[in-house]
This record gives sequence, C-alpha cells and structure tokens, in this order.
Amino acid sequence: MRYDNLSVLELRKLLDNKEITIEDLFNNSRELAIKLNGDYNNFVTILDKLEHSSNKNSLLNGIPYALKDNFSTKDILTTASSNILKDYIPVYNSTVYQKLIDAGCVLVGKTTLDELAMGGTGTTCHTGVVRNIWDKKRMVGGSSSGSANAVASGIVPFALGSDTGDSVRKPASYVGVVGFKPTYGRISRYGLFAFASSLDHVGIFARNVKDVAIVTDVLKGKDTNDMTSLEDDNINYLDNLDNEIKGRKLFYIKEVINVKTNNKETDEIIKNFKENIDKLRELGFIIEEVSIDKKLLEAVYPTYNIISCAEATSNNANLTGILYGPRSDKDNINDMIFDARTKGFSELIKRRFVIGSYVLQKENQEKLFLNACRVRRIIVDKINDLFKKYDGYILPACGTVAPLLEDASDKLTEEYLILENHLQIGNFGGFPSITIPCGYVNNMPISINLTGRAKEDSLVLNMAYHISNKLGNHDIIARRDNDV
Amino acid sequence: MNINISDLKDYAHKLMFDMNDLEYETLLKEFDVVLKQMDIISKFDNIDKIEPMVLPFPIEVKLRSDDLIEVLTREDVLKNAKEIENDQVKVPRVV
Amino acid sequence: MYKTVIGLEVHCELKSKSKVFSKGRNAYSEEVNTNVNVVDLGMPGILPNLNKYSVYEALLLASHLNCELASRLVFDRKNYFYPDLPKGYQITQSHMPFGTNGKFKIYVGEEVKEILIHDIHLEEDTASVDHYCDFSLLDYNRCGTPLIEIVTEPCMYSKEEALAFLDYLRHLFLYLDVAEARIDKGQIRCDVNVSLMKENDIKLGTKVEVKNVNSITGVKEAIEYEVKRQTELLNQGIEIKQETRRYDDSTKTTIAMRSKEDAIDYKYFIEPNIPNVKIDESLIKEVLANKIELQFDRIKKYVSNYNISFKDANLLAKDKDISNYFEEALTSSMNIQSLVNLLNNVILSYLNKSDKNILEISVKPDMLVNLIKKVEDGNITSKQAKEVLTKALEEEKDPIALISELNITSMNNTEELINMANKIIDNNPNMVLKYKEGRNVLDFFIGQVMKETKGSANPSITSKIFKDLLGKR
Repeated sequence: MRYDNLSVLELRKLLDNKEITIEDLFNNSRELAIKLNGDYNNFVTILDKLEHSSNKNSLLNGIPYALKDNFSTKDILTTASSNILKDYIPVYNSTVYQKLIDAGCVLVGKTTLDELAMGGTGTTCHTGVVRNIWDKKRMVGGSSSGSANAVASGIVPFALGSDTGDSVRKPASYVGVVGFKPTYGRISRYGLFAFASSLDHVGIFARNVKDVAIVTDVLKGKDTNDMTSLEDDNINYLDNLDNEIKGRKLFYIKEVINVKTNNKETDEIIKNFKENIDKLRELGFIIEEVSIDKKLLEAVYPTYNIISCAEATSNNANLTGILYGPRSDKDNINDMIFDARTKGFSELIKRRFVIGSYVLQKENQEKLFLNACRVRRIIVDKINDLFKKYDGYILPACGTVAPLLEDASDKLTEEYLILENHLQIGNFGGFPSITIPCGYVNNMPISINLTGRAKEDSLVLNMAYHISNKLGNHDIIARRDNDV
Repeated sequence: MNINISDLKDYAHKLMFDMNDLEYETLLKEFDVVLKQMDIISKFDNIDKIEPMVLPFPIEVKLRSDDLIEVLTREDVLKNAKEIENDQVKVPRVV
Repeated sequence: MYKTVIGLEVHCELKSKSKVFSKGRNAYSEEVNTNVNVVDLGMPGILPNLNKYSVYEALLLASHLNCELASRLVFDRKNYFYPDLPKGYQITQSHMPFGTNGKFKIYVGEEVKEILIHDIHLEEDTASVDHYCDFSLLDYNRCGTPLIEIVTEPCMYSKEEALAFLDYLRHLFLYLDVAEARIDKGQIRCDVNVSLMKENDIKLGTKVEVKNVNSITGVKEAIEYEVKRQTELLNQGIEIKQETRRYDDSTKTTIAMRSKEDAIDYKYFIEPNIPNVKIDESLIKEVLANKIELQFDRIKKYVSNYNISFKDANLLAKDKDISNYFEEALTSSMNIQSLVNLLNNVILSYLNKSDKNILEISVKPDMLVNLIKKVEDGNITSKQAKEVLTKALEEEKDPIALISELNITSMNNTEELINMANKIIDNNPNMVLKYKEGRNVLDFFIGQVMKETKGSANPSITSKIFKDLLGKR
C-alpha cells in the first residue's frame, strides 16, 4: 500500500486501526527520502533511527515530518545549508521541534535550504542544488526548498519551513502544496536561525489546509523564550475550518493583476486567477478590485531588501568559528575569524551582508534603513486600512511557474514584477498568509495566495479551507520525472 | 552616491570576510541596481514624519522573572569548540 | 594655564539571580563556563529574554540620579566583532536609555557640586579573556551579566571632583543594593574623557577618551597623565587630536588606540526581538515607591538639623545601614553628640576591625539609646559606657544586660567620694590657692577622682562635692 499521498487524518486512522505501525511509516518515509535525495537533494540529514515519545492525545502521534535545517535540534547536525555551520551540533531544541516531540511526531530528516535561508531559488545550498520534484530541470524555489519537495513528493505529510519574504509560500506554489505563514509571533521563533528577526516566521507545508490547521494548533502559543511571541488565541483552528464564509469580503489589487508582459505563462496565470475569482464568488465570497498606488507597490521589494539584509548582517555576526563551526588554522585571531567567514559564506550571502551593512552605516542609515522602515509602515497602514472593510486579499502567489534552473539568478535586477514580490507584504505586516494550489500551467502547479488580518489566523484558515475545497488540487503528489 | 570597488572591499573587510575580484565586480553592478531601488523609498511625501516600523504590530510583553535559572553543562558549552584548554575555548592571542 | 574638563562613563555590574537577557546565572564563579546558557553564547537561533529585575534596578538608579525616565522599553544592537562578544553585537540602549538629563549632587570636600548625567542605560557584559603568551582562553561566564552605564556630561573640572563623584556613585549602588560595586573584582569600570580649555574660553577643548580604566587609582592616574600630556602639547603649540586612548596599568600612562577617523561605526539599530512596549506603570510606581534619601541629603540634614560636624556627618552617611541605624537611634530627648561619638568612635572602629556590617552586631539602636540614657541619668559614666559598648560588641551581648551582669555603676557613694576629695585637696594646696584666686581648676580636682576611681565616679556628684569642700576652705 502507498502511504505517500495520505493526509494526517488518514494516517491517523490507519495507525489507530493498527493497519500500519509508526515504524512502517518512518521506514517508508526514510526510504523514499533516501531514494530521492540523489536526484533532488531534499535533505541535509536523513535520520537513521526512529525517535518517538508517544502522546496518545495528539492527532500527530506517530506522524512523520521533516524540518528545515535551520531549526535547532539537540544532538542532530544543523547546518542552515552553509559551510560555516557544516559541522554544527546544537545543544538545545527549538521550541517548535520540542512541541512536535511532545506531540509524538516522528522526525524523518532535516531539509535543504538556500544558504542561511537567504535566497529564493534552492540553488545556494552547501550540498548543491535542490531540483523541483515535478521537473528536475526546474528550481523548487526557496528558501525552504527541501521541505517543499519533501511534502510534494509524499515523503512526509507535513514539513516546517521559515518564511522571511516568501520562503514557504513561494516554493509551496512551485511544487503545488499548501504553504502557510501564520501571524508574526503566533509560532515561537526560538531556535529558528535568524535571518531577519522582524520579518521571520515559522511556516508550514502540507498537502491540504486541514493538515496545516492541525499542525498550527500544535505549534502556536506564547513562548517565554520569545518575547515577540503572541499570547495564545485559545482557538482551535481545526474545529473552525468549516465555519460559514458567505458574505466574507476579499479584495485583489488591480495593479498587481494588470501587468503587461510578454510572458505567456504570466498571462495564463492571471487568466486562471480571474476564473477562480468567479468560482469563489459562487461560494458566497464578495470579491472586489482595489487600487493601490503603484509607487507604493514598487517600493515593496526595495523595502524588503534593505530591512532583511540589514538585520541579516547583524544576525549572522555570531558566525565566526570561535565557539562553533569550522575554524581556520590562522595564528592571529582576526585572521582566524576573517578566514572562517571568507570560506564559510558563499558569494551571494556576502553580497547581501555588504548591502545590509551599507544601509546601516551612520551616514546612510537615516536615508536607507530608517526610510525603509518608514515605507514598511506606510504599506502596512494601507493594507490595515483596507482590512477595515475586507477580511483579506487574494492574488496569484506569483507570476510564473517554477523557473528553469538555467534561468535561475539570485542577482538583483532592475526588472521585477510586483506580482513576484507581493508576498513580502505579509511579512511586513505579520499577516497570516497562505498559498493554495489552484491548477496547472505548462504542466506545473500554480497557486493563489490568501492574506488576512494580523492575529486572525483562524479566519484565514477557515476561508482557505473553503477556497481549497472549491478549487480542488489538494492532496496532490507530484508527478515525478521518474515515478517511484 | 559613488561607490567603487575599494569602498566595497572596505565594507566587506569590516564584516570580516573577503571576496574575489569577480565577486566584487558583481557586487558593484548590484549596487547600481540597489541604489536605484533605494531611491524609490525616499520619495514618499513627508516620509521623515513617519515613525520607522520595527515590528509588524505592537506586541504585549511580560518581562521574565529573575528567579528562573537555566544553564548549560560545561560539556555542552564546549561541545562545538575546536580547541579547548583548561575548560576554556582556546584562540590565538587576542590583542 | 588650562582648565581641565572631565566626563566619565562608568560601567557597573548589577546584582541579580539571572542574566539580563537570558536565564543564565549571574554569579561570579571560579568554575569556568558553568554559568551560561545558549543565549549568552549567541548560539544560532537564540533570542533575548529581558529580565524584569534588571529593568527595575536600572530605573531605580535613573530615578535616584534624578533622570527623566524612559517611557518605553527600547534596546539597540551595537555591532562589532571581538572574540569576547559571541553574538557579534552587544544589546545596549542608545535610542531611549532608561534615564536621561539627570542631576546628582555630591560634596567635594565641603563644597556642593552638581554632576550632570547625560544618560544611564542597561546593557550586557562580555566574556572574559585570559591572555597567555601566544594564545588566549575564553570563559563565557560573564557574558550577559547586567551592566549599567552612567554617562556624565563634561562637567567635572578636577580629578578631585571626578573621584568624589565615583565615590558617591559607588555608595549609590550600595545604598540601593543594586550592585556589590567591588572595584577589586572589576565590577566598576570607567572610560574617562579629558579635555583642556583656556581659562576664559567658552568652547570646550578637544576631547580625548581613555578607555578601560578599571580602578579608582587608575582614573586618578589617567587624568593626571592626560592633563600633563595635553598641557605639554598645548604649550608646544600642538593641537590636541580627538582620539581614543587606552590606560596602561603598569606604566600609569595612556596609549593611543585609534584616531577619530578610525572610529568604529557600530551601526546601532533597534533590537527587533524586544518589543518596544510602554514601560509597565506598576513597575514605575514600584521604583518611585522605593526612592530613598541618599548620602548627600543625609549629610546635609545631619549638619544643618543636628549640628553634627561635617566630618562626622560624612562618616555616618557613607553607609546606608549605619546611617539608618543612626537615624533609628536618634530620639528627640537624647544627646546627639554622645550618640555620634559612640557610633563613630566605638561602633565604626569595631566594624572596621571585625569586617562586619552594622546589621550583624548585637547592639541594636534601642540598646544604644538606653546606654546613653544611663550616662545621662548618671548611672554610669561615659567612659564606662564606651567600655561596656566595646565589650558588648565583642561578646555579642546587650550592653544594658552587661551593665547589670558586671554590676557596673558610677560611684555615687558620697561618703567615700568626700573622703577621697578631702585627701586630694590636702595633697594639692597650690591648686586650692589657685581655686581661691578664681582660676578654673575644678576639672583638675575632678580628674584626680576619676583617675583614682578609674572613671567610675559620678561626675556631677563629684563636682558638687568639690565645690562644697573648696568653698569651706
């Protein structure tokens, strides 16, 4: 029997009925993970042995999952896919990992990411390129590349990632799974290797909204180790998925949709989106077009770039090779640190750090870093203002399907589509935001994104559940190049 | 703003790493783009009157009690260190 | 001639159970690397976790330095690379320190001086580095220890003022019980800013910052050296460069570290992991409710309200516990000077000798009051009181109990005293003559009785007897 396309609840039933064992599930996941790793590079570490502490009260008891390799796991190698941490064994558990242990979940492995989570292609990992499970010639997107693939390929029913700009939601879209980033602080960041602290979120991949809700229910809540974590809202998201959504109001942004491109793919994605809007209206959603100053939308990416690079430069200053990480044999302390960082970071990371440091320099900080923080407020205020009238907004998750690897570039270019970068707004405002598969273009999955008011995670999941049911395309396993 | 390779080298060195010439060239080109993009953000009306946003929304804080103590074993402190002497991390002489 | 202008940046480690941003233990330990947790070590994924008590202590200090208190919690990152700084940045306060624009009055000698406080902020300490000939060893125990930094304006005009301020500051920490403030343990560390200006100039001279001065004598010597060095340069017509120097303990000199051009850009920005919330009003209330009278005000009060000499007042007010003890013993009916004498001469010297705190001694303020009352009532003499008090302290007893135990009384036996007095008068005819001439020699006669009774004669009875007897001669 194949288990790789089953949801958490289906697996739960099989486990409870003793039709399968936890060992079976772990071994299946492990074998598939090993089998695919050569071609796709999804995992940095695949665990040899089942580790399970049973929790009979948990829906997730015995369920296998994967963790992005930037969550601290005691005694398990955690590299952030960077040479500077290639031998780092943490001595403490991230809060999410501990919660999943307590819920009886079974970790299968640690997944590959763009180095230090700073990238969107899955091509900058220290162990090589991660290839799209639907098409080896394509990228999977990033930075939570391995987690996206692990869920899309059926290795695990869910996986955790981190989302600073779109690092869960975009790869989810490129591989046709659900990717959810809840409200900022809803899930503790303690033990998540920081990229940009004010934008970082823990995110969840699964093949349907229900599984996302089940996992979020386990992970959410106040953590005394994370001062930015939110008091628990004491709402069970799973129980509220089915709530009535008739009359809920959504908007989409005219300027994002009205793009003129020569890209047929983008045209098809927008056409698909417009068709879907009609379908959602049938569900009872009221959906309206809203116009937002183009200048503001064009400022999204530079704002993101400045803030994220600035925070990243500082957050990664701990990586010196003194207390952990590879150390150079230089006999002068400064040379030693210098050498460890020169060899430990790839080029892309270094470029980001230089940009981040530049915008923080005394003479530039006011004009660059602080102005970016001000524009962030203008954008968030604008969206919050719209949220007074609307329960959320929907847009295509991105403007293309997963690009071909030969087209992959992490260099900044002047040309960019607002359509490619609007997901970052969700990080600016800490809004709960979810990517839902909605069809195919060029035989590759595409998605729509739903973003709602901060702290209203339950409502966003509730609306997403209805939307996903209407659009179909959930519980899909990738049609791999060479089917296993 | 005019930035040249030697500026970039100086910035990189202050961050305690180096890059090769080709990488500096790439970065220099990237800075062109970045600076143009950055121009966009300073062109909003009355931008200086807006308070910079640090976190997405106000978050309530309950400060930690002084009484909670949690320390690592020395073994864990030193677990990833490459050179140890007298239970301390050994590094080349710090001047 | 040049006028010296000094500003100080004083760092002091604060007392607490856990560290300022982590649950690591805040305690000095001989056992290296045993008081730290992952947050202190800057392990990937860690987040700061602010200690409420450290905030309280910082606000308490700020309010006693008469600062304007911050309205919000705001911390900043100070970014720089150094092996003792595992995160690569120090969490400190630059945008909104807990206190700003303070004023702190002190006595320099007997003169009142107001020290202007630029700001007071809370930050974290770094690891300690032990240097050996070709390597260094890192002990992370000190990482994350709460550190308070008090920055003054350039408002001190002599080393005496600077040293007096440091002394008052140390006592402030002890008064508020927020720090051990042990200089020998390196708990207080200073950066000293020195500049010289022409006597009548309005504009400040160029500032030279001397870093890492870890003792009070170091501060004194650093100032002396800088004043000498800068004076010589100015006399040669050489302009002073703005620069950072380092104090060298062994040579008692300062050594150039970096010029203004090489100044480090710390790229301060607000620490996003600590939400900038409004400071809890109940915490502010608690701080204000715990405001106490400090050394300066107590000295002033003792001198002007109780006519105590400045020297005595200064002694009494140096230590909060001694000062509180004194104030508790003060009752309206009593002789304040006897109290001051017993305290400053007997109790303080006992405390010095035994290395005890006044709270630990057996003699409580009410006992001291009773003892003085015994003297006033003529039951014992002041000499006896001193002796009983010393004994009571050493044997950890109540002096009043000791008086009855040892049956100590002043000699009130009139008959015996008259006999003694008659003999003394007989043996000193010259003094009698002098008395008759109206010279003041009564004390001589009383002194003789005291000598013979080893100080136990009741002085007022003795005096009366002599007046009577001498009058009859």
